[in-house]
Amino acid sequence: MIATGKGTSGKPRLQISAGTIHKMSALLTLLILILIFSFGNKAFLSVNNGLTVLLQTSVIGLMGIGMTLVIITGGIDLSVGSVLALSGTTTGLLVKAGVPVVPAMLCGVLVGAACGLFNGFVITKMRITPFVATLGMMLIARGTALQLTGAAPISRLGEAFGILGNGSFFRVVEMQANGFPKVVFPGIPYPVVLLAIVAVAAAYLLRRRAIGRHIYAVGSNEEAAHLAGVNVDRTKMVAYTMSGALAGLGGNVLMSRLVTAQPNEGVMYELDAIASAVIGGASLMGGVGTISGTMIGAFIIGVLRNGLNMAGVSAFIQQIVIGFVVILAVYVDQMRNRR
Amino acid sequence: MLDQTLSDGPLVEMINIEKHFGGVCAVDDVSVDLYPGEVVGVLGHNGAGKSCLMRILSGAMMPNAGKIRVRGQEADIHSPSDARDYGIETIYQTLALADHLDAPANLFLGRELKTAFGNLDDKKMLSEAQEVLARLNPNFKNLGDPVSSLSGGQRQAIAIARALYFDARVLIMDEPTAALGPSETAMVADLTLKLRDEGIGIFLVSHDMNDVFDLCDRIMVMSRGVNVGMHPIRDVTKDDVLSLIIKGALPDDWEPRQR
Ligand SMILES: Nc1ncnc2c1ncn2[C@@H]1O[C@H](COP(=O)(O)OP(=O)(O)O)[C@@H](O)[C@H]1O
Ligand SMILES: [Mg+2]
Repeated sequence: MIATGKGTSGKPRLQISAGTIHKMSALLTLLILILIFSFGNKAFLSVNNGLTVLLQTSVIGLMGIGMTLVIITGGIDLSVGSVLALSGTTTGLLVKAGVPVVPAMLCGVLVGAACGLFNGFVITKMRITPFVATLGMMLIARGTALQLTGAAPISRLGEAFGILGNGSFFRVVEMQANGFPKVVFPGIPYPVVLLAIVAVAAAYLLRRRAIGRHIYAVGSNEEAAHLAGVNVDRTKMVAYTMSGALAGLGGNVLMSRLVTAQPNEGVMYELDAIASAVIGGASLMGGVGTISGTMIGAFIIGVLRNGLNMAGVSAFIQQIVIGFVVILAVYVDQMRNRR
Repeated sequence: MLDQTLSDGPLVEMINIEKHFGGVCAVDDVSVDLYPGEVVGVLGHNGAGKSCLMRILSGAMMPNAGKIRVRGQEADIHSPSDARDYGIETIYQTLALADHLDAPANLFLGRELKTAFGNLDDKKMLSEAQEVLARLNPNFKNLGDPVSSLSGGQRQAIAIARALYFDARVLIMDEPTAALGPSETAMVADLTLKLRDEGIGIFLVSHDMNDVFDLCDRIMVMSRGVNVGMHPIRDVTKDDVLSLIIKGALPDDWEPRQR
């Protein structure tokens, strides 16, 4: 069992685990941010803006989940931003070639998974460090996306292509007397629902399945995991493949939202994904991390971006702020470990 | 288990095992056997090749040459799980625990108990771990903590419990008491004899001469990768063994002594 704050007798003890403390402080940070931004701008705390944040966060969140799996094994995946672009453009090209949207998107996600599998292969069989292996894939995937599309965006992909990114559940629209529709409730966007499903599935995998336990064990002590009979190579391959597939899924969501396949999308997204995981308490040393933590981390970044945008802060300053937040989060993490 | 004890053949035979690292010959043409219900002590200086020999049997290291037979059958051991399939369990010198996981997760690592749906059966693993750990250390209560926060004795207990729970036929103990206090050391000694009496064959790597003479039926001494002597414990004295370890040979005037 992954160590939690619960005692063995079943009743919770007073002592709370360090991981829980970290998650609590991250959650508190999120709430404080929301509070500050809502004071600054009344529009921030509206349903509409809330849904916008959710929508904007869903792509980072999807990539952050895959990144978390990889980081728990003690690795890193720098290729997710490029894989996102390659997957999205693959789907776009297939749709353009006349393939129906659903199989085209499945192919796009599979291309992402294949990139991840390749990463896993290079890392485990060729014994290249994750940093270098995925840096290579970052260039390979980006180059392939640009080459395939001639570096030009693919537009006019049809309405069906846009549904995943723009559709929503429970959308309530009223016809007004003047004949124009009025949106009463904008609905829960599909990407948000998708993120929730993927997050729950990934948390289930990590906590309740043997592969999840092996992912933690490999990151905690690779040698011990190997000696205990864990198939270390296979475990890492699974983590990198999932990371690639989720980056591919994120790419499809993003391009669908834009209704355009952009080979230049997703530059530096890997850093947001890594930052989400790290802010959420994952340790780059491996063995530590949770999906719920990463979700909080992704929302901290999403809220920061959105709030700073609404406050009219430039994208450059946003980078600076998020940079400091990452350093602060890791610093807090180190303090708790040093105790 | 006892039917093995009755049959006369050896449980394990390691035959002409060799292991090189570049120019270094860590294990040099070593042959050794182990019978059911006996403890064979493996002795030698640091760097003599004891751990390498043991790791080869436990599947953690591949030999450059030689073969292994288990119960008379040639055994193909390419990984730790292969060795376990032959009933070979190992307590590694480094203990080999995943620090971020708790005791039950470590005990069952690689062999997790699952529910009918293939989910981890954490409840069952916890109760089974409680039971087997209680046999080793009645004070072991904090099973939900990550093992990094446990004492050396508790960590050792987890490593031993692994071997115990999964019904080892052959047990390899590589310096099992190096990190333990006196009472824990005595506990491990008791346990070693108990397991031997159940018919398990045990390789015990140890530097403690008292332990060796209390527990072992035979000893094997390694020096620079070579097996320099394999003797029933009653044929040798502590001085003989020290001479084997230091000089790589028995005293010049040696003859088997029936003590
Ligand atoms: N993985 C390895 N790579 C290179 N050399 C090794 C490795 N493992 C052991 N050795 C060398 O093999 C020799 C035997 O080591 P070891 O079996 O650990 O000795 P012992 O357990 O008897 O102290 C030593 O010289 C050691 O440096
Ligand atoms: Mg050793």
